[in-house]
Amino acid sequence: MKKRGLISVAAAAALAAASLVAVAPASNAAAKTITLAFQGPLTGEEASVGQDELAGMLYAVKLFNAKNKGKYVVKVVQADDQGDPAQSAKVAPGIASNKKIIGLVGAAYSGATIAALPYYKQRNLPMISPSATRVSITDPAAGNIGFPVFHRIPPTDKVQGPALFKLATKGVSSPKVFVVDDQSAYGVGLVDYMKPSIPAGQSAGFDSVSDKTTDWSATISKIKTAAANVVIYTGYFPQAAPFFKQLRDSGYTGILAGGDGVLSPTFVTLAPASVLEGVRLTAGTVPLAEIDAKLEADFAKKMGKASGVYAAESIDATNVYLACIAKGVSTRDAMLKCVKSYSGKSLTGTTIKFDAYGDVAGGALNGFVVKGGVIKFDGPVK
Amino acid sequence: MIGNFLDQFWSLTFGGLSLGFIYILIALGYTMVYGVLRMINFANSEIFMVGTFATIIIIRDLFKFTQVSEYATGFRLWLILGTALIFAMLVSGILSMLVEMVAYRRLRRMNSGVLAPLISAIGVSMVLSESVRILTDSRPVASPRAMEKKFLGQFFDAGIRIDNTIIVISALVLFAILITFVNKTRMGKAIRAVSMNPNAARLMGINIDGVISATFLVGGLMTGAAGFFYTLKYENTSAFIGFELGIAAFTAAILGGIGNIKGAFYGGLALGLLETYASFFLGTQWKAVTVFIVLVLVLYTKPNGLFGEALTQTRA
Repeated sequence: MKKRGLISVAAAAALAAASLVAVAPASNAAAKTITLAFQGPLTGEEASVGQDELAGMLYAVKLFNAKNKGKYVVKVVQADDQGDPAQSAKVAPGIASNKKIIGLVGAAYSGATIAALPYYKQRNLPMISPSATRVSITDPAAGNIGFPVFHRIPPTDKVQGPALFKLATKGVSSPKVFVVDDQSAYGVGLVDYMKPSIPAGQSAGFDSVSDKTTDWSATISKIKTAAANVVIYTGYFPQAAPFFKQLRDSGYTGILAGGDGVLSPTFVTLAPASVLEGVRLTAGTVPLAEIDAKLEADFAKKMGKASGVYAAESIDATNVYLACIAKGVSTRDAMLKCVKSYSGKSLTGTTIKFDAYGDVAGGALNGFVVKGGVIKFDGPVK
Repeated sequence: MIGNFLDQFWSLTFGGLSLGFIYILIALGYTMVYGVLRMINFANSEIFMVGTFATIIIIRDLFKFTQVSEYATGFRLWLILGTALIFAMLVSGILSMLVEMVAYRRLRRMNSGVLAPLISAIGVSMVLSESVRILTDSRPVASPRAMEKKFLGQFFDAGIRIDNTIIVISALVLFAILITFVNKTRMGKAIRAVSMNPNAARLMGINIDGVISATFLVGGLMTGAAGFFYTLKYENTSAFIGFELGIAAFTAAILGGIGNIKGAFYGGLALGLLETYASFFLGTQWKAVTVFIVLVLVLYTKPNGLFGEALTQTRA
């Protein structure tokens, strides 16, 4: 893995340069300049997740800056952690000690979040993650390692695991469920939280497959041997599409399902529509286009690309900070206090209010189904 | 487990074979360059990645296929596949030559030793994959399906799928052409001469730079063909696809004996089958571990790989 290391070094150098540019003095002297930061994978293999979230944040900031012209100019510093805890521990000290930054959207990934937390806690930098769903970060039983700076918008995998199982087996009279994870902390965790909700006799087996896998024939053989009629994949869309495709091509006709890692507009471009027809997905998020087609159109126009998987969460997270900035908050301490007492509406109209541990109480999981090559919102998972 | 394995044996074997042939073609890219320059061309994995994208450009952009298109049939299908194969091979072949000219040639002329080209290769590899990443917005890209993946027939319990069949047959043909080229043509002879002793070859009036360019071109052509076959079979690619496949093909080349064309062939086949069987028996998570344990065991007994002893005769 020498290659990744080298990329990391290059990325760190690039980041240093980017940060300098990002915090350059504002051109508008009358307006008050406030600096926020984004942390997530912006280069490397996971870059699409971070780039999509960053676009969501920049979209929210763009709207805010346009609305508050002459009053506030919000700048965004970009911190690239490549979704990698080691890289995160390298960029976090710089972000933590940059006093201009009063709030951070991120980190995108749970592992990277945990690696950065010591630095942000020490410097009291508020964090709101749009996508770090690992349970332990806010779990009092696990030491509540995120307290007090960490907050997040999406429901945790503790909620998603059972919901995904429920959705996948909905309407199946005698389900035999085969679960495949991608060996990531996210995928394995989701399976762990799903397991207790699997009734006796309904499990057809488990497999754990690297997220670098391109050939799925061995897993497919196992699924066929187990005669499964429901297959759940807990990983991300770049692997889910080829896996589902190869599974269908081998003659499998049962149900295919996945979690929020699979829910991306790109997912449906990665396999023929006939292959993905009927794929069931869960997520705490709702694609922007489902919330409002006009919102998606405006997003695509302003950001120059379609919105990604955690776009709504990124916008919601950023809006929490922006609401506080509009109230006159300009320091980290004030921001943390403001975030803790914040109560407002998300893009979908639910209430965002963080509990003592940093989670939004009562987060619900939504169901989605692929129809005619498009991911359709299918209502909350009940 | 054994009973299950026997049930699935042929379907696993066919899958492993077509994967093995893809490894062989990429391994040829590594092994030919190593044969001539004694250097690992790390950028070969990105040459492969570019080959997958070249294929997609033909199918998606030239022939305008989408994920909801009807499948092509008859002459039009063969025209599409043929165009895509040739385009992928040319793009990769020419890129491979350019990489040599830009990144290695000057270093070689200045007798830089072995480490400078190595880092230069890693640099080229990063430049290529990051450029494609930026061009693709970091997203994975799929090739729309032009050919229906139908089963041609049954062999015991396993269905023989058309794409696997095309891959195995075409790769065998390409391999036969390559062997003929290296063994029967003037340029092939020159490549072998340079690989045995570059100084003597130069004294005999062989244009060393020309031979090296030709080697990179041929290695690139093979790697580009692998890009096409990979896209035909898996239909998905991304800017980072090269790393994993490159490591696998490099392993195949070492397993067979690097610098040796036959070694790439058997190494690729062995690796493709081994990976597939190991994944079935031990779970896919043990695939890499098993492969490297086998590699180390092979190298213990045969330090130059399976065909290492023939290195001086059929090098190139």
